[in-house]
Amino acid sequence: MMPEGLIAVFQALPYILQGSFVTIGIVLGAMGFGLAMGIPLALGQVYGSPPVRVAVRIYVWFFRGVPLLVLLFLFYFGFCSLLDINLSAFTVSVAVLGLISAAYQSQIFRGAIASLPAGQLKAARALGMSDAKAVWFIILPQALRLSIPAWSNEYSIVLKDSAVAYALGVAEIMARTHFVATRTYQHLPLYLAAGTIYLILTYAGTRGLRLLENKVRIRGYSR
Amino acid sequence: MENDPILRIEDIKKAYRAREILKGISLSISKGELKVLIGPSGGGKSTLLQCINFLVMPDGGDVWLEGRKVNPHRKRELYGYRQQVGMIFQDFNLFDHLSALQNVQIALLRVKGMDKKSARERAVAELERVGLGKHIDHYPAQLSGGQKQRVSIARALAMDPKVMLLDEPTSALDPELIGEVLAVIKNLVANGMTMIMATHQISFSSAFATEIIFMEDGLIVEQGPPSKILSSAECARTKEFCSKIYDLHGEGN
Ligand SMILES: Nc1ncnc2c1ncn2[C@@H]1O[C@H](COP(=O)(O)OP(=O)(O)OP(=O)(O)O)[C@@H](O)[C@H]1O
Ligand SMILES: [Mg+2]
Repeated sequence: MMPEGLIAVFQALPYILQGSFVTIGIVLGAMGFGLAMGIPLALGQVYGSPPVRVAVRIYVWFFRGVPLLVLLFLFYFGFCSLLDINLSAFTVSVAVLGLISAAYQSQIFRGAIASLPAGQLKAARALGMSDAKAVWFIILPQALRLSIPAWSNEYSIVLKDSAVAYALGVAEIMARTHFVATRTYQHLPLYLAAGTIYLILTYAGTRGLRLLENKVRIRGYSR
Repeated sequence: MENDPILRIEDIKKAYRAREILKGISLSISKGELKVLIGPSGGGKSTLLQCINFLVMPDGGDVWLEGRKVNPHRKRELYGYRQQVGMIFQDFNLFDHLSALQNVQIALLRVKGMDKKSARERAVAELERVGLGKHIDHYPAQLSGGQKQRVSIARALAMDPKVMLLDEPTSALDPELIGEVLAVIKNLVANGMTMIMATHQISFSSAFATEIIFMEDGLIVEQGPPSKILSSAECARTKEFCSKIYDLHGEGN
């Protein structure tokens, strides 16, 4: 058993590893999309008018509440055919994971913004800064620093969630592993290998973010 | 002309829900004057100071700077006005992610649009002026309370304000650090800065204030030069309050 298993893993490894580029593509795309959208959502929820705040809350409630698989199918098979747009499974996976991540990331940033002393915004305004400048130069640089640990956590969740893109036929790690496993019947070693790749990617990402956190740490703060 | 007020406020009102915090406050201040707001906690001193530069939007009343009425609902006008009115807060409100130098520089760069070199020169000069020339690269978390407050004063001064509003600048400080901040403020007085300051430092005020304004329950109860307000029988309320502060804080310095 063991030797055949190892052989199967080694033979399949290049093929599966190629899938890790697809996985990384999905994760980077979704995290970037979630970042670009999560910041304005968070700002809307903290500083927005009541209707804006309600809109953000509804958005967050929706994308945190509906299962990922349901959303993937809803967008890929539902909206795409309804609106007659032709998007690749990869694109839809990035978009859906990004929309969901935006909901979670908005709450990370919202918490970080809320934890900053309110006086700093006042001080910025007192110097004649517009609210936009105050947010850009004073609030966000601090809120984003504070968000890195939670953001790292979000990264590992999106990474794992990306395996669900398999259900749309995206050739990422999981899909490729499954493809090989059903042909070689070496399920145990192949899925162990796939799991290991995810663990390595999680480690690399969280480690990188940890380094970033240390690099941008504000001097004088011990932690 | 000499005595035209730099800043004048008239009938400033503010209520939170049904509670009236400011019930119509008017005052004016001329160049080089120091007006001190005193009064019991909750009397509305902080609210008044923040209404003057519209960090808190008053429900009614007007503000004039150098004879021009300020319209706080026009953004550009509001931002321009605030640049001319420096504000010092009780708990400093430094930008924690920026060094002392950057704290002073940032508004010069981002609000006044100065170039990097002149902004830096100006910021260093202001920090030296408050005795922090050796600490320009320190971050707020690496500074003592007194040093932080001096950075915040340098930050305000760098904008060349026409008036400064100081809200209990020494109240958050350990007693042994109060002196260094008061020394800086004393210097501002000597250099002709125009200031409105809320404080409990009675002896400092009696020595340097042009006028002491006693506020209680959102109203100016008594006001006048220190000699009058701290001793004459007409100002019984102020005297009583000040003697309480003396009891609490000794000489209040
Ligand atoms: N944002 C707010 N919402 C509701 N009430 C407020 C708000 N800000 C201030 N108040 C109330 O207004 C009153 C006046 O507060 P203010 O801080 O202006 O008093 P103060 O004279 O500065 O007191 P202190 O000497 O303690 O600093 C207080 O009763 C306070 O609770
Ligand atoms: Mg106060």
